[in-house]
Amino acid sequence: MNQPAPLPLAESLLDAPLPAGGPAWLDAARREHRAAFAASGLPDTRIEAWKYTALRGLAQRRFADGDAAAATREVDAAAFALPGVDGPRLVFVNGAFRADLSALDALPAGVSLQPLSQALRGDAEPLRFALSRAALVGHGREAGDAFAQINAARAVDGVVLRVAAHTRSAAPVQLVFVGTAADAETAWHVRNVIELGEGAELDLIEQHAGLGEQAQLATLVSDIELRDNACLRHVVLQDAAAGANLIRRSGLRLHARAQATLHVLELGGALVRHDLRAELVGDGAQFHTRGVFMPHGRQHIDTQLAIRHQALDTTSSSHWRGVAGDRARGVFRGAIVVAPGADGSDANLSNKNLLLSSGAEIDTKPELEIYADEVKAAHGATVGQLDERSLFYLRSRGIPLGEARALLTAAFCRAMLDDLPNAALREHLSGLLISQLPA
Amino acid sequence: MNDTMINEGSTATALRDNAGVAEALGRSYSAGFITEIEMTGLPPGLDEDTIRALSAIKHEPEWMTEWRLGAYRHWLTMPKPDWAKLNIDPIDYQAISYYAAPKAKPKSLDEVDPALLETYEKLGVPLHERAALAGVAVDAVFDSVSVGTTFRKQLADAGVLFCSMSEAIREYPELVQKYLGSVVPTGDNFFAALNSAVFSDGSFVFIPKGVRCPMELSTYFRINAQNTGQFERTLIVAEEGAHVSYLEGCTAPKRDENQLHAAVVELVALEGAQIKYSTVQNWYPGDENGVGGIYNFVTKRGDCRGDDSKISWTQVETGSAITWKYPSVVLRGDRSVGEFYSVALTHHFQQADTGTKMIHLGKHTKSKIVSKGISAGRSSNSYRGLVKMEKGAEGARNYTQCDSLLIGKKCGAHTFPYMEVKNPTAIVEHEATTSKISDEQMFYCRSRGIGEEDAVSMIVDGFCKQVFRELPMEFAVEAKKLLEVSLEGAVG
Repeated sequence: MNQPAPLPLAESLLDAPLPAGGPAWLDAARREHRAAFAASGLPDTRIEAWKYTALRGLAQRRFADGDAAAATREVDAAAFALPGVDGPRLVFVNGAFRADLSALDALPAGVSLQPLSQALRGDAEPLRFALSRAALVGHGREAGDAFAQINAARAVDGVVLRVAAHTRSAAPVQLVFVGTAADAETAWHVRNVIELGEGAELDLIEQHAGLGEQAQLATLVSDIELRDNACLRHVVLQDAAAGANLIRRSGLRLHARAQATLHVLELGGALVRHDLRAELVGDGAQFHTRGVFMPHGRQHIDTQLAIRHQALDTTSSSHWRGVAGDRARGVFRGAIVVAPGADGSDANLSNKNLLLSSGAEIDTKPELEIYADEVKAAHGATVGQLDERSLFYLRSRGIPLGEARALLTAAFCRAMLDDLPNAALREHLSGLLISQLPA
Repeated sequence: MNDTMINEGSTATALRDNAGVAEALGRSYSAGFITEIEMTGLPPGLDEDTIRALSAIKHEPEWMTEWRLGAYRHWLTMPKPDWAKLNIDPIDYQAISYYAAPKAKPKSLDEVDPALLETYEKLGVPLHERAALAGVAVDAVFDSVSVGTTFRKQLADAGVLFCSMSEAIREYPELVQKYLGSVVPTGDNFFAALNSAVFSDGSFVFIPKGVRCPMELSTYFRINAQNTGQFERTLIVAEEGAHVSYLEGCTAPKRDENQLHAAVVELVALEGAQIKYSTVQNWYPGDENGVGGIYNFVTKRGDCRGDDSKISWTQVETGSAITWKYPSVVLRGDRSVGEFYSVALTHHFQQADTGTKMIHLGKHTKSKIVSKGISAGRSSNSYRGLVKMEKGAEGARNYTQCDSLLIGKKCGAHTFPYMEVKNPTAIVEHEATTSKISDEQMFYCRSRGIGEEDAVSMIVDGFCKQVFRELPMEFAVEAKKLLEVSLEGAVG
């Protein structure tokens, strides 16, 4: 392969000095990950996982490394309050922990929650395993994992959350990542390490918020490990600033009979990419996702869901809906792998999309890779418009066309939230969905 | 296949061997051409001189030589594709002879691999056909020569041109120049570029305006193009309102020494034209340990150039060590229709990465994809398809159904559908399932006294029915038998 000149983005991510002063193993790992990033460069559309997400525009930008004034940026804490969510809270502004906005005083027994920057100042050894590699699932070593590598090299803050075995956290834990205007276009990186002990149970709200048109680049890598019988209910509300380029990667590993349910709303941001990977490594593990992506304007929202069934009698169900308007582009890939020997696997995936305008585009790719025969696996995907008959039904009852469309589109998306147990939150999120719909 | 027709050949000519058959059929060729086939073969290797020599042997006009050279120069700049879910041993392109003299043939059926003969027996292939398929130089009278001639006359009366590509280049250069490479450009992909540079022969079909081809055309009857399988080039043009159904291949396995088959098939349908292209591919799949077998890397594409045109691909793929092809349709004309029906069966160590592409450009275009994958043994079977709705595809519609059946614990069945939609009035639907033959189905059959293998083949047949229905009748019957034979030893 010939070596093209490094792109401005890659250069700006490589040039700034690496964070130092951590444990020796961490500094070494940072150097290794930076070298890996330098060697691989930014992914281009020839890499299958990036086929529909071109970084051409982004790659020409330069970003300052971190926001030195992140600790003092004015942020309105009320802006990210959510109904039905009132528990421990950790807030990050431009990638830096903000004690003044967080609420850590009411931690339930058995729940340990602290920012990574603090955890590293104390005994960093328990984090050694997690931080030595770029990501929990897939290790961040595949082609196209460049952002996980640069995150591993540069992230200095994030969330360290551990729930002790057999602990049931009553109040949901809220994690808020705010991007706000800085002195220059800034890149920041967050690394989260979350572990649920055996039989532990947790409600987790992950929120991406922000305001402003200023371009930012944020990378977030989350490792989530669920030990035997653990149960996670995870809601992700991505409503980032209009100028935000948000590259996230979440890796879940589910041990025996562990259960994770995710509800994901992708609403904000300029270029948004979410790699959501789950490995079902223990017998009887269950993984359920429900998601809505709703790009409008010139947004580009790309969700890459990959589920790997590796053990007996594992179950996954994934239902995703996309609505693209204006000149926006929605990308979805839902890949299910049933590994050899994973008998009794039951995998089901569907992705339905509405295309609202002639400038918009939806690219969807459900995949099945099956290496075992005692399995049930199915997927479906559609791209189309609202059902004419339903529209007719509403109009014949005196509802104007525009309103009828809005109603049906809202119902199309809301269906993904139906099984969210937190009623107050569900109503709030539904409202958000509706307010995003084009008039 | 089509035994009755063969036997109807009244003017049976006694011929000494297959070369003789070729000669008899090729009488309209210049004698020198035939002689050269027998005398020359190019040494292995590929460079511009090879291509010039090949072109000279075939008495091709200057423009054809240049066309080939252009393709070759482009090919040199192309990287080998590696994106498919296939393990491919590296191919040494310099070790291939790009123009082979007729190969040494076994002298009698006794010298042919008994496994091959056994398969013919099971498929009920008539004796003289067995010999031809196994490549035996037979002394027997081979009736299809006269049949072929009879057909030629009937076709000529209808105005249909059906001949070898070499002949077409010499006889109808303006048609070939107009359409060759217009669907699959010379630089389309690595193997299409290679094919464009070195294609040896193939079929040319031209159905003039308003003509409904009086019979189903088949390569099987046009046996004059022996030893041309490796880099075959097929071009079918249906003018306004013309209809044609074309059958490719043969249901019985073919003995073949060639390792790499890189064919190109181009279909052009003008306004209101319909082309139906059916393939039953049963090249040598390698033995049960995965040794040997054909690499079948084919570029097939149809262009619905005119409004209201229709192109339909039906394929039954049971052979080849590796099958890698995506028969596609470009739906350019308004209201044009593309169809793809496929059964792909892999067993032992076979690999298949096959599917289709439907590119919707015109308004109210429609496409339908039905793909049935069956994997057994340690094989790997992938469906890969693309449905693309471009901006202008107002009101376009696609429906895709992909089902996979797993037989055994060590095989893989995969589905990779791509959907790209840029028009808000288009509708794309995809559904896929993966399952195995259920114990309940087996129990039901067994409890009614049906043996295990029969039960499996019955269930597989039902699984494939939707595709078999699209095949011409005699093909469908043999395709069914072929699946039975190919699945032998897959259960129990």
